[in-house]
Amino acid sequence: MSSQRFPALSRRGFLGLTGAAAAGLALTACAGTGGGSGDGGDAKTITFWSNHPGTSKELELELINRFQAKYPDLTVNLVDAGKNYEEVAQKFNAALTGGDLPDVVVLSDVWWFNYALTKAIEPLDSHFGAAGVQLGDYVDSLAADYLFDGKHYALPYARSTPLFYYNKDVWAKAGLPDRGPNSWQEFDEWGPKLQSVVGADKFAHAWGDAKNYLGWTFQGPNWTFGGAYSDQWKLKFTDPGSIAAATYLRDSINVKKYAAIRPQIAVDFGTGVAASTIASTGDLKGIKKNADGKFEVGTAFLPHPNGPGVTTGGAGLAIPSRISDARKTNALKFIEFVTNAANTAYFSQNTGYMPVRKSAATDPSEVDFLAKNPNSKVAIDQLSVTKSQDYARVFVPGADQIIGTGYEQIGLQNADPATVLAKVAADVQAIIDRQITPKLPK
Amino acid sequence: MKHVGPQTLSYRRRERAVTALGYAAMACVLILVGVPLFWILITSLKDRADIYTQPAVYWPHSWHPENYGEATTTVPFWTFLRNSLIVTGVVSAVKFALGVFSAYGLVFLRFPGKNIVFLVIIAALMVPNQITVISNYALIAQLGWRNTFQGIIIPLCGVAFGTFLMRNHFLSLPGEVIEAARMDGANWWRLLTRVVLPMSGPTMVAFAVVTLVNEWNEYLWPFLMADSAEVATLPVGLTLLQNTENPSVTNWGPVMAGTVLTMLPILIVFLALQRHMIKGLTSGAVKG
Amino acid sequence: MFRETAARVNRQFAMRRKTAAVRSSPERVLPAPRGRGLKNRPWQDYALFLVLVVPNLVLLTLFVYRPLADNIRLSFTDWNIADPVATPIGFDNYVEWWGREDSWKVVSNTVIFTVAAVAVSMALGLALALLLDRKLFGRNVVRSAIFAPFVISGAAIGVAFQFIFDPSFGLVQDVLHRLGVDKVPDFYQDPHWALFMVTITYIWKNLGYTFVIYLAALQGVRAELLEAAEMDGASRWTTFTKVLLPQLRPTTFFLSITVLLNSLQVFDIINVMTRGGPLGNGTTTMVFQVYEESFRNFRAGYGATVATIMFVVLLVVTLIQVRVMDRGDR
Repeated sequence: MSSQRFPALSRRGFLGLTGAAAAGLALTACAGTGGGSGDGGDAKTITFWSNHPGTSKELELELINRFQAKYPDLTVNLVDAGKNYEEVAQKFNAALTGGDLPDVVVLSDVWWFNYALTKAIEPLDSHFGAAGVQLGDYVDSLAADYLFDGKHYALPYARSTPLFYYNKDVWAKAGLPDRGPNSWQEFDEWGPKLQSVVGADKFAHAWGDAKNYLGWTFQGPNWTFGGAYSDQWKLKFTDPGSIAAATYLRDSINVKKYAAIRPQIAVDFGTGVAASTIASTGDLKGIKKNADGKFEVGTAFLPHPNGPGVTTGGAGLAIPSRISDARKTNALKFIEFVTNAANTAYFSQNTGYMPVRKSAATDPSEVDFLAKNPNSKVAIDQLSVTKSQDYARVFVPGADQIIGTGYEQIGLQNADPATVLAKVAADVQAIIDRQITPKLPK
Repeated sequence: MKHVGPQTLSYRRRERAVTALGYAAMACVLILVGVPLFWILITSLKDRADIYTQPAVYWPHSWHPENYGEATTTVPFWTFLRNSLIVTGVVSAVKFALGVFSAYGLVFLRFPGKNIVFLVIIAALMVPNQITVISNYALIAQLGWRNTFQGIIIPLCGVAFGTFLMRNHFLSLPGEVIEAARMDGANWWRLLTRVVLPMSGPTMVAFAVVTLVNEWNEYLWPFLMADSAEVATLPVGLTLLQNTENPSVTNWGPVMAGTVLTMLPILIVFLALQRHMIKGLTSGAVKG
Repeated sequence: MFRETAARVNRQFAMRRKTAAVRSSPERVLPAPRGRGLKNRPWQDYALFLVLVVPNLVLLTLFVYRPLADNIRLSFTDWNIADPVATPIGFDNYVEWWGREDSWKVVSNTVIFTVAAVAVSMALGLALALLLDRKLFGRNVVRSAIFAPFVISGAAIGVAFQFIFDPSFGLVQDVLHRLGVDKVPDFYQDPHWALFMVTITYIWKNLGYTFVIYLAALQGVRAELLEAAEMDGASRWTTFTKVLLPQLRPTTFFLSITVLLNSLQVFDIINVMTRGGPLGNGTTTMVFQVYEESFRNFRAGYGATVATIMFVVLLVVTLIQVRVMDRGDR
């Protein structure tokens, strides 16, 4: 029997532990956080952090070649910054604390605001002149998405809107007109007809789950019922319109049983498990490939009976604020170039995202492309009935998941919409009060 | 295990039954473990249409080994492989050496408070990745080592698991052998290499393979450190095959092909090393 | 009669080679080095110890403990990770953690996941190692097959199993339907089934680890002791529990600690398959919450708090484990 117990409390041991702790704390003083004053850095090299949205690495390399041809004294360094927007933000977070900031970084709709609020990214308006940016040529709603406190903190790059995808074959079998529904009320009538056509184990309509941005896709439908997540900073989850929308969602799943919340909606749609779904226009290529040879894919606007019925999404390009002014100007030149008419047309044709410049509409390759691909035109035409996203979703960190989870509860667990939405509102409000209001400019 | 007593019929029957049971159990295990593995392998050979289909397809309608071509050509696969080999090789070698040395010191040498030292070392196993990366990023960036091999390798070299494993094993070695070697005047190096390590074959193999696997699959740290394909390792680089916003439009064929290719080198190493996991290596100097 | 034999066998065993366990003072097992002059000059030993152990310690201190200390410091602040400034707020984060109801859900998820992972993967790993220790035809291939899941990265396994558990195209629903099960559990939408799903996935991945460690340990088991027991007429089960298991105690101890610590740090599988959901925190474990709070909700101070709490609990649990195993030894 061991008489010497684990000597965790012997005096020598205690001294040793204290010593180690002291040493550790001392070391933390040496290399703490708050570094990243990357003022240095070569102004002639532009480091571009991208997750290549829409598998666009080759396209981005081509755009870089075009840029370097036009500005021979500048070089662009394309960095693989992750496989999705979130990983780019992670890498950016690390750089903000540790150093080695990029010149241009891809930030999506839910990520950019926090960096603007903490002044980590640069308000671009004062640099527009030096870099030759013509703000007016950018599609108004797309550029307005990055407005905060009267300034633009990013410019649109890979922008999408949700589309209403529907299975034309099933639509025909159900005797429905070859178009999307004009309102969600109309779809409520179509739903059961579609359900009887598709049969058991399949659905007339599939909603993504919270992990797959239910909070994003439901925003538009919510508006058509007169509801909203918020009006600027005023939360509206418990407005009668929002509750009506949530009730519609719940009933379509649990009462009339023609809809479902599913983990992989694009797969479900492409294989015929769901007859319709709402997904990003960036998924158009992939969805068509999944459905190839099985059925004909139709795209339509989301219902918008009384004003905007759909949001926008995707990512823009931002510039960190803690780099030198020379670097910022060159970075903005690069941003301006890759989003100019010809280049945004090129990018959007090959990915499924939308062109971000008004003048791209008259670009010959674009005109040609849209004539041959009417499905792509739908997203662009839909822009006129889009609205910027509600603050509650995009400006509040973590809110997207809270909102999506709330709708999951309503749909999957048949929960009472008023109660659930009240809790969502309370949770979101708590975050706003704690993290945002103190930082808002007075 | 030889049976010394009379070999009765019932005993023989029992032995056969047990062996048969052994084979049956082995088959069961193979199925449970193997089916998902099989699924990964078969998906890597499927055409896109066969992946996104209902009901599930077990045998592809058309074989699509081009997925492997796609995985290795659309991204700089061989560069990533080379980088992975370098990073994993160096880190594993350093960790192995440090682990063995640390364990030796903790078991065979005297030092005041060395059990505290041991506790301190295994406490390192309790610190998750997410906490360490930001702080280490700051330090490495200050040293200017971002996007370099040394920046990726050095922070990964501290070893707690291996030290624990080898210390555990060294403690179980027969004291008489050690004492005998010391009486023969062996210095520490002789003791380690001529006496201790030869009695530790299987455990060394276990240490080596587990470390190799962990370093080979390391993702978060190389991801934050690497900016270009020059130093990016395989797990980081292969995500280039997945750059879509919506995972359900990714073409999983090439991604699974990439996964299989990533798996193969380590499996080959394991196949080679596990042959050493046989009885007889540790019977050493003490016979029954 | 067998009990006498077992006692005798164990005594013999103990006499020849002290039962291994984590000892506080290995000098009792392995005699202190004697010989020319060393008895009077322990400083050579000390110096050698420093040379051998300090490089590892330095690396661990620099790259593991320094961040840990930093993390503890951060848990007393309110820090938005994009902000250069962290505001000190004392114990507010801890108070908040204690009061939130989701903290307890996360803790319970963590406990369930960990206990299941440890128990099942250790039991199965031992069973498999025993099975594949005997000379069976094809065992090299089978050993590699069992180890293969461990070789695959967590992210890749997460993706593969996401498909396997998919309610429409997955392997699981296909098999269940063929077996006649009508209502396939909704793995993605029911929080309990989702937790089950990620736990099974992790166990599948981790089997190779416990298997390999037990396999290595079995090579050191004294076959003659097992034979002696069998000669004395002991049943297989008694041989197993009274002779074999005690010899594996140090390995079991080692595994119980390392598997516990490993399973607490699972991130990739959860992130890929369920992202912590469904319904908000259905499969959120403490480590996942650290990531979510620090990087998604931009509350790195609160994330650091959860991490610190986890570390302290782990330290206590490990200390207890060590004490229990130590006391249990003769």
